[in-house]
Amino acid sequence: MENKHILSSFDDDLKKLNDNLLKLGNGALTNFDSCINNFGTQDIIEIDKVINGDIILDELDDKVQKLGFEIIALRAPQAADLRRVIVALKIATIFERIGDYSRNISNRTKLLIELNYSDLPGVNIGKMGQKTLTMIEDVIESYTNEDDKLAVKVRNSDVKIDKMHTQYYLEIVASMQRNKKLAPTGAHLLFIAKNIERVADYVTDIAEQVYFLVNGKVLSDERPKADESSLIIPE
Amino acid sequence: MVKVKTMVNIKEDFKNLDLTVGDVFSKDARLKARNVNVFYGINKAIDNVTIDIGNKEVISFIGPSGCGKSTFLRCFNRMNDTIDSCRIEGKITLEDENIYDDKIDVVPLRARIGMVFQKPNPFPKSIYDNVAYGPRIHGLSENKEHLDNIVEESLKRAGLWEEVNDRLLSPGTGLSGGQQQRLCIARAIAVSPEVILMDEPCSALDPIATAKIEELIHELGNEYSIVIVTHSMQQAARVSKRTAYFHLGKLIEVGKTKEIFTRPRHNQTEAYISGKIG
Repeated sequence: MENKHILSSFDDDLKKLNDNLLKLGNGALTNFDSCINNFGTQDIIEIDKVINGDIILDELDDKVQKLGFEIIALRAPQAADLRRVIVALKIATIFERIGDYSRNISNRTKLLIELNYSDLPGVNIGKMGQKTLTMIEDVIESYTNEDDKLAVKVRNSDVKIDKMHTQYYLEIVASMQRNKKLAPTGAHLLFIAKNIERVADYVTDIAEQVYFLVNGKVLSDERPKADESSLIIPE
Repeated sequence: MVKVKTMVNIKEDFKNLDLTVGDVFSKDARLKARNVNVFYGINKAIDNVTIDIGNKEVISFIGPSGCGKSTFLRCFNRMNDTIDSCRIEGKITLEDENIYDDKIDVVPLRARIGMVFQKPNPFPKSIYDNVAYGPRIHGLSENKEHLDNIVEESLKRAGLWEEVNDRLLSPGTGLSGGQQQRLCIARAIAVSPEVILMDEPCSALDPIATAKIEELIHELGNEYSIVIVTHSMQQAARVSKRTAYFHLGKLIEVGKTKEIFTRPRHNQTEAYISGKIG
């Protein structure tokens, strides 16, 4: 946000919006990091922290939406300022959704602990989660530095998560077919893998918003996709 | 609109257009300004401005105070002729006729290119006579009935007929500010102009009167070319299809209004519309 406005209170409003958005983004990052970590450690106290802490992200999203609407109503932002506000409103909603997925993964992890779970053969939820976590870190960095090249890189990296999801989907279903007692565990693992895949999708949406923020135009080319789980009938 | 990059295809005499970013030309131009310079004494108020005003187009001129937008607007109907120290270089044509040609009579020119000012300025006459004044002096009415029709039609087009048809002989100065401004617009359109110039036409009006004038500009834009100078960027965004940004006498950027206000090409335009320079 270079070049200060003549009206310094406008800069104050934009800074407040940005600060709250980054707080929300970092909160979503922390919660996702914890839920992936907790999946491995099975630490109930930490899992509950993610579940109970989600409300903070909801409140931050509400705050960003309120600030954004106020800026539009009172400041009539133009051009790059308008893009900043619109992008903040969109990104905030996405970060809030990432928080919801982290909470859902945490709820399922608690159930899996009761089921005495472990990763099924060929499935590594932690690895998939770590790669997605890196995407979130990078997209926040791309927003903070207005780095559209990094945003495009993040967007295109989603294809790796898609491929992992397709593979894990087939492996989990195969395990469930081999041993029907694994069905409850497998069902929750399917949802957890899908939730992570959706988080990565949401990150690509943020990356596209960062590109729009910097360039004032949308990324025109189709995003590479490789999630075939909805197209395959497991053998 | 023709992009600047393709302007070599247009057979016009102009120079240094690279100063302006955006779509300065119109395929259906009614007014053409080419390399216009305006001086007040030794001070250059307008610096090499080239732009087309399209047929039935509403275009806004925006920019900080003193940027020359009003000075440039007044070039289009030779209002600057009344200022002794003012000197104009370059060429301005209306329908390909040079309006600064020695043969041009400014009185009929100002009927073809009407003007509405910042402060409503009705004549100290009746509402009827305010509107009838132009048709009378330009000999546009055949008889009383024809003149009555012109007055009624002009007041209707200006959105004022319903409010004043029962008191046409009352003084125009007795109307509210917004009504007076619409009376001035009725007076301008009574002589069937081709272009209407508006110099901050709403700056003395309240929001309701402003909305009525803006609605009127929107409707009149279907019949006339309208050039509006405004300090309100929201007004420029609301009423015009094309916007031109002036700074220190230069035309910095001109383009579609929706692009100027969402993705301007020039840093100075971005800074101005964002409230970073003024």
